[in-house]
Amino acid sequence: MTARPSLPPLAALRFPPLPRALHPGAWWLWALAMATAAGRTTNPLLLTLILAVCGHVVVRRRGDAPWALAFRMYLLLGAFIVTGRVVFRIVFGGGQGDTVLLTLPQIPLPAWAAGVRLFGPVAAEQLLGGFYDGLRLAVMVVCVGAANALANPKRMLKSLPGALYEIGTAVVVALTVAPQLVESVQRVRRARRLRAGGRKGPRALRGILVPVLEDALNRSLALAAAMASHGYGRTGRIDPATRLITGLLVITGLLGVCAGLYGVMDATTPVYLGAPMLTAGLLVAVAGFVLGGRRLRRSRYRPDRWRAGELAVTFSGIAAATLMYLTSQLDPAGLYPSLTPLTWPELSVLPALAILVGALPAWLAPPPALTQEEPEPKPVSTAKEPAA
Amino acid sequence: MSAAGRRVSVLRIRPRTWVVLALASAAGLVMFFWPLFAPPRPEAVAHSADAPLIFVIVMPVVLAVVLAEMSSGGIDPKALALLGVLSAVNAGLRPLGAGTAGIETVFFLLVLAGRVFGPGFGFVLGALSLFASALLTAGVGPWLPFQMISSAWIGLGAGLLPRRVTGRAEIALLACYGVVAAYTFGLLMNMWFWPFTAGTDTQLSFDPTATVPENLHTFLIFTLTTSTFGWDTGRALTNLLAIVLVGPAVLAVLRRASRRAAFDAPVVFDPPRA
Repeated sequence: MTARPSLPPLAALRFPPLPRALHPGAWWLWALAMATAAGRTTNPLLLTLILAVCGHVVVRRRGDAPWALAFRMYLLLGAFIVTGRVVFRIVFGGGQGDTVLLTLPQIPLPAWAAGVRLFGPVAAEQLLGGFYDGLRLAVMVVCVGAANALANPKRMLKSLPGALYEIGTAVVVALTVAPQLVESVQRVRRARRLRAGGRKGPRALRGILVPVLEDALNRSLALAAAMASHGYGRTGRIDPATRLITGLLVITGLLGVCAGLYGVMDATTPVYLGAPMLTAGLLVAVAGFVLGGRRLRRSRYRPDRWRAGELAVTFSGIAAATLMYLTSQLDPAGLYPSLTPLTWPELSVLPALAILVGALPAWLAPPPALTQEEPEPKPVSTAKEPAA
Repeated sequence: MSAAGRRVSVLRIRPRTWVVLALASAAGLVMFFWPLFAPPRPEAVAHSADAPLIFVIVMPVVLAVVLAEMSSGGIDPKALALLGVLSAVNAGLRPLGAGTAGIETVFFLLVLAGRVFGPGFGFVLGALSLFASALLTAGVGPWLPFQMISSAWIGLGAGLLPRRVTGRAEIALLACYGVVAAYTFGLLMNMWFWPFTAGTDTQLSFDPTATVPENLHTFLIFTLTTSTFGWDTGRALTNLLAIVLVGPAVLAVLRRASRRAAFDAPVVFDPPRA
């Protein structure tokens, strides 16, 4: 190791990378690209591969923050989606398909229910169709879950666009206040116990909720006073011309979005009123949004930068999605296994390779900086800790 | 209760913002109700598998534009701190009941706060509460922007209820609104989940070739059989009970905070003296 850590260009390129928090945007882009890749196939083998890739990256690169433990919840949600789909097919399937596996007793619903009947013959095509569809949706949800587990939401809020600065600040306040509320509830309950006011039911609810709410609102006014004394809210004058252009852009853009949605929904309108109109409207609205966000210049404390690790993570995700898209153009048969006639799903090389490219962040991304275990605990600070 | 009739609007909605809000709401409603009038041509963009995915991208953009427009005049620090703290309380209330027979505690405070602080504040609070709660309990997903705009509409509606009603009548009005809001929220989210849950090939799926009333009929059966009696009724009952039992006390607390914050008082900065 000739490179010293103080040299930024060499330190940034060393392998394995030094532990640090990756820009949350990189994780989100990677996860959304993986979700896009999952959306292009219903092949259960490929979908399971994507699931494995996401799981592997999450296990190798998540930190020890509370949100890093969320991945399991998304896996459970995915399982729920798949089960729900299959059960729905069994109950409301209506018996389409040739390969009948078993026949359940039918329950016809009354006339107002338009002749819907419950249960009846259960066909393999239906079950598999529900399973494939549900699995695709579940894997897309799990990809989003991977982003949730890997990206730090507080840092994500810091990099919100300027137009959403106030909204982002309110969310930061909410995330910071929430743990204090738990402490507030405990304090109120302790006080109630000391007064022997341990009744249950609605009175207890009122007895806890109202003091906690009062406490929270008082705290918010104190916070507002602190913010105002630090100069928050003294916005500069906004140029009237800029305001006018911003408003025009936003309203024109939304009109375009409405027209585009109408065009998409109505089969009789010309094609240019559909998706192109929708896209154009969105672009114009976003332009107004960006322009509106430039009214104030704000400095940032230690901003997250895009460095080699971020680029590697983003590119591996986009490469996976692009390769999957190419596959769907070249050889779509392997991506959508046939249900009529029933066939075994097959695994071909190109899509499998595409998905494996998405696993590269497990090695290329810098490992997270853990907060719990210090590498070398300083004896002085640990000795002081219990006393403090 | 002297402040009950006073009109407080913490986040003032200017005429331009109303236009943006109306357009965005129209677009939002279409993105919820598209299965009712999905076009029959298979090559259209609204292909049954692709349309929800397109809307999943469009909805966050529309929501971001509206929220930016709402805050474009600059939010008062007091309103901002109140927004943050009330969102945190809402987000903290949400897991209290989630999962147990549809007891949903997130809406009653939203309705009460929307009533006290006005439609603009209610809209932003509704969106932020669900966003903060999703970040805290890790529920971020494609459904989040749709939940956010639904609950934002609930907050907006609570702020738009008639002002003159006070006392017991006010509580009754808010309780009724809470029940309606609970069922509407359930209906909207069901509408959104419908294409995802039922797919396209069951008896309860939407049919692109059918007419709007036929699809609506199918949807109503779908929502009745899957959630109306469990989740939605549980949510409506929670709202009703919470507003009736703790509504008056919470309203008093919120109005006291509103008075102390003195949102109506004009802020004047003196020019620096030489």
